Amino acid sequence: MRDLVKITGIAIHGYGGYVPRYRIKSEEIARVWGKGEGELPVKEKTVNNLDEDTITMAIEAAKYAIARAEIDPKKIGAVNIGSESHPYAVKPSGTIVAEALGTSPSIFSADFEFACKAGSEAMQMIIGLVGSGMIEYGIAIGSDTAQGRPGDALEYTAAAGAAAFVIGKTGNNVAAEFEASKSYVTDMPDFWRRDYERYPVHTSRFTGEPAYFHHTLSAINALMEEDGYKLSDFDYFIFHQPNAKFPYVAAKMLGIPIQKVEPGMLSHIIGNTYSACSLLGLVKVLDEAKPGQRILITSYGSGAGSDSFVLKVCEGIIEKRQKAPTLARLLQRATYIDYARYLRHRDKIRV
Amino acid sequence: MVFRFRIPSHWRAKPFRYRLIVYRCEDCGMVHQYPAIICRKCRSTRLRHTQLPQTAKLLSFTVVRQAPVGFEELAPYIVGVVEFEDGTRLVTQLTDCEPEELKIGMEVEAVVRKITQDGPSGLIIYGFKFRPRIV
Ligand SMILES: [Zn+2]
Repeated sequence: MRDLVKITGIAIHGYGGYVPRYRIKSEEIARVWGKGEGELPVKEKTVNNLDEDTITMAIEAAKYAIARAEIDPKKIGAVNIGSESHPYAVKPSGTIVAEALGTSPSIFSADFEFACKAGSEAMQMIIGLVGSGMIEYGIAIGSDTAQGRPGDALEYTAAAGAAAFVIGKTGNNVAAEFEASKSYVTDMPDFWRRDYERYPVHTSRFTGEPAYFHHTLSAINALMEEDGYKLSDFDYFIFHQPNAKFPYVAAKMLGIPIQKVEPGMLSHIIGNTYSACSLLGLVKVLDEAKPGQRILITSYGSGAGSDSFVLKVCEGIIEKRQKAPTLARLLQRATYIDYARYLRHRDKIRV
Repeated sequence: MVFRFRIPSHWRAKPFRYRLIVYRCEDCGMVHQYPAIICRKCRSTRLRHTQLPQTAKLLSFTVVRQAPVGFEELAPYIVGVVEFEDGTRLVTQLTDCEPEELKIGMEVEAVVRKITQDGPSGLIIYGFKFRPRIV
């Protein structure tokens, strides 16, 4: 079917997703800002607890990923974490996460930043390290507690969550194998946050067509052309989800049935978890996929770029799924808070 | 810059705070949170480095409303005593729950959370808390 396979012999051994317990409904945010009318981008979104941040959520997701991989943390050779909300401007998140997981100190560790694409590029780097033989196992994490300016459109969607993957050489009992990956990046003025600024700014003119859709579709089309895949080869399509609508628009542009997009959708109920967003979609799909099925996951990060991966689900998925709570189980914890409590959780009250 | 926290002691506490690594006396069973050479209780030098289990049972809890310095932003919060399978007891914060959701004897699990921070420019301290177990 294809003559050029980009990635050989590398697989996901364990995966884990984490979302905080708290939720705020979009209608509650709209009530405060007098925006009851009009279409809200999502139904509700996750809100971190007072004691949660990118690092703590990364640890939660990574613990589940290690439980599913069933490996000794001392075998992990790299801890990479992508986020746009690292708690420190200078002081790595990766070292704290690594020590909390109990890895050896003789590891690679890097913090990645690329808006919402930081998690998937952390994954690409782990694939490279495993593929080159520099490490046996590596852990790639996307985690964010994204901030939106009060009253801004982003406030409805900027959410909290994390996803982690233990990646190593393929074997008999792996969750899914990587087959190919492609990226596409350009200099795009769609969204940014300057140093020392608390909230990002965005240019609505650039958000959709030249940014999200162009990069997402370009990465996917490059995979189709260079690696010889057909869209009909895939059972699941996972997209970055800045809102609940864009992935379906992308699917329509590509001519993909929405039934293949729905299983990976989360933003309508958890919002946009930034670096964790498309990766949590992958977690949700791995919770239900069958061996032999093929997944196409494509991230998008402003600034801008997309990473696309082809994954084939393996036999090990059935057994591994049971080794940690599913995302559906974590979503069941949903507890709703009002806007006042939301401000407190998001550290927006300054005394 | 003036630090409210004694940074070296926080740095030394990492294995205990992040992963519940303790030093247990082989002779009297006393558990030490920090690396120790001699048992504080029986003076034995036979101390073994071990990890406490990640799950425990809730023995008791209370709600802290008048928080000490460094914890004001968190109040009200829950502090409890949990007991591990081997009988070791630990005082800990409980998170991701309201007091009315807690039952004595229920299973709780260790998570790593932000414990406190030394103001907006100081160190963030991470460490264990417990929450109702998610299964
Ligand atoms: Zn002793």
